[in-house]
Amino acid sequence: MVGENGAGKSTLMNVLSGLYRPDAGEVWIDGTQVHFRGPGDAIRRGIGMVHQHFMLVPPLTVAENVVLGREPTRRGLLDLEAAVDQVGETCRRFGFKLDPRARVEDLSVGSQQKVEIVKALHRGAQVLILDEPTAVLTPQEADELVAVTRSLAADGHTVVFISHKLREVLSVAERIVVLRRGRKAAEVRASETTAEALAELMVGESNAAKVASQGARAPAGPVALRGEAIDDGVAVHGVSFTVRAGEIVGIAGVDGNGQRELAEILTGLRPASGSLRLMDTEVLGASPGELRARGLGHVPEDRLLRAIVGPMSVEENLALGRHGRPPFARGPFIDFSGRRAHAASLLESWDVRPRDPSQRIAALSGGNQQKAVLARELDADPKVLVVVQPTRGLDIAAVRSVHERLRAHRDRGAAILLVSLDLDEVLALSDRLYVIFGGRLSVELAREDFDERRIGRMMLGAT
Amino acid sequence: MKRVFHGALPSLLSIALALAICFVALALSRSDVHLATDAYAQMIFGGVGDFPSFTESGRWGVLTRPWGESTSRAALLLLTGLSVAVAFSVGLFNIGAQGQMTVGALLAAVVGAHVSLPAGIHPLVGLLCAALAGAAYGSIAAVLKVRRGVHEVISTIMLNWIAVNLIENWLVTGPLRAHSEGTVSIAGTDQILPTAELPRLLSDGSRIHLGFPIAVLIALALWAWLSRLRHGFETRAVGLGPEAARTAGIPVERRIYQAMALSGALAGLAGGVLVLGTEFRFPAVLGAPYGFDGIAIALIGQNHPIGVAVSALFFGILRAGGTRMQLLGVHKSFPELIQGLALLFVAARYVWRKLLSGRAARPSPRSSEVQRA
Repeated sequence: MVGENGAGKSTLMNVLSGLYRPDAGEVWIDGTQVHFRGPGDAIRRGIGMVHQHFMLVPPLTVAENVVLGREPTRRGLLDLEAAVDQVGETCRRFGFKLDPRARVEDLSVGSQQKVEIVKALHRGAQVLILDEPTAVLTPQEADELVAVTRSLAADGHTVVFISHKLREVLSVAERIVVLRRGRKAAEVRASETTAEALAELMVGESNAAKVASQGARAPAGPVALRGEAIDDGVAVHGVSFTVRAGEIVGIAGVDGNGQRELAEILTGLRPASGSLRLMDTEVLGASPGELRARGLGHVPEDRLLRAIVGPMSVEENLALGRHGRPPFARGPFIDFSGRRAHAASLLESWDVRPRDPSQRIAALSGGNQQKAVLARELDADPKVLVVVQPTRGLDIAAVRSVHERLRAHRDRGAAILLVSLDLDEVLALSDRLYVIFGGRLSVELAREDFDERRIGRMMLGAT
Repeated sequence: MKRVFHGALPSLLSIALALAICFVALALSRSDVHLATDAYAQMIFGGVGDFPSFTESGRWGVLTRPWGESTSRAALLLLTGLSVAVAFSVGLFNIGAQGQMTVGALLAAVVGAHVSLPAGIHPLVGLLCAALAGAAYGSIAAVLKVRRGVHEVISTIMLNWIAVNLIENWLVTGPLRAHSEGTVSIAGTDQILPTAELPRLLSDGSRIHLGFPIAVLIALALWAWLSRLRHGFETRAVGLGPEAARTAGIPVERRIYQAMALSGALAGLAGGVLVLGTEFRFPAVLGAPYGFDGIAIALIGQNHPIGVAVSALFFGILRAGGTRMQLLGVHKSFPELIQGLALLFVAARYVWRKLLSGRAARPSPRSSEVQRA
């Protein structure tokens, strides 16, 4: 199963593994309709899910992890020897080379993933769901996983292999289902398709119209944010880019290619080498507070961790970052009436619900929290704005309104750097874009060069 | 006002429940309800004033003397309670108020005994030194936390033992031991000079001294700081959401250092008040676990400066009254038992919330989301 981030792959699999209940539709196993009330039901019916993030207890051994939840006992006492024997037997039967006595935290990521698969098989799984299993693996480990998957299928197991690496899917699968925006876009035989055709199906062809509808606009102004050879030695490698006043520059890419770290570097949250000039002043290494004072706004990706203080009220959160200035403060004192009035007007104009500034922000829905964050950041009228995933979790009307406001902010002369995993969003908003892959930026693409097929291939590492 | 009452309700109910349970236990232990009633009456007489004796004799002393005892204890509980509450506001659990208080007490004893100053400013200098010593000692834990990621609960517990052992087992029995007067050898440090004693507020026998008013003023100042000032807002933001605070441009580390220094200063101040107001020297063994009591007081006061003040005053009265209960053969640890039970019930505040609101008590969605992230 392939699809872009947010296409609905994980949600669908969570339905199959009993974590979510479908609002409508049916699930059938071996000709029987089933109704899962929880993951336990799905496991009993032979469905084994291997999550992208491993569900293992690192200090325990392989055998202990595998039997966890159904441990063998003798006279009421835990029988670890029996566990080791049983798990060893399962490993032999399915051809996994794993030492049941090894501690999970000592294993490589690839081996840890095998433990997850053995865990599912040990519980009698007939249907294995692997959610982006190769995302964390080295190429060699990935090849090995593909071989393991093939042999399980040859053995009579059903395997659902989720990925957005097209080559892998082509080499591992018989049939490929393409999801796009929560719908099945296509189902093709692997032998009858190509990576290019799949990329096109994944991205969709609807973007061409949106690109055209942008129309002509005033040329961009001077460079407001310039990065040169930015490198953190871990996730970001020699990144150089420019963002001019009055333009939106997009960074497209598949999750985990360094875009999160790049955004953290640009907003003062992560150290790096190189050069970053904000309005012609070197600011690499400056604190988030200094950057804000120099006119940088930031809509962080991780809303609950970085953008809001959950136990505080909506109005306190709306003041955060500007809480030292009027109308939020007078001298060293908080200006309660000014803060309240300003919050009320922001809630009104951004249609944040409920309209109660004294409400704890944690009690708001995710979409309303995000609207509050965007309201706060745009209201500060930053000269340069770094936005990461601005519309994740918002409904369609809210997405449209956020996009309009970002464009309006650009048209007022701001420079906006948009980092998003949603290619449609990057294509719809950006005046120029870069593709990030493996921590490196591609050459910049101007709007007339926006070719989703080509960009899709670049996002997947093909050139 | 209604909101304030609703917020304080779990604590008030916890205290009421603790008092009720202890009353029943007392009555059962002697199969005598009258004893329990008498004991509670004595507690009130000893804590807030001996009213029957006042109506008989008309002497004000029987009212003011209990207040002296209550407020001198309440001052110490309030300062250490505020110390814990301030650290909590920035998200740290300061178990080290005891150590910081001990360090402060020693400094106050040294300044009080060995520095000559005029009466007006001597106590103030003593208190200031005590606060600075406590601040310095508290800051060690903050530096370890920020620079090395050492959890403050661990470091402050260890720093408690270091302070107590260094001071009681070495300084006070060694270099700082009092000079013997004639053949009498005195344990502890020298008596402080009369100029250094905290001024008494009344000229009668009551021991009401300046410590309690100072502590109350500090509680009000802290309340204003946390709720009215930008700096306090930033401090709370760091405590409730450090990463969001950092992203918003708040200097997280600096706020942690400042809050922890303030927390240590308050505990050190408690030590200063103890020495300059009550003990008049550093005794051989301090034996006053006000630093640990501060944790209970802060939690019962729900880490709110005004709540802490109310809770400190209440338990100060209880402690003072408890001494008088001994006349009836009730053990002197009885008030601590009440305090412990009240703390236990406050700790179960989710149960209170559930009972009070009829809704299921849930952990905040934020904490689970953060863990997932």
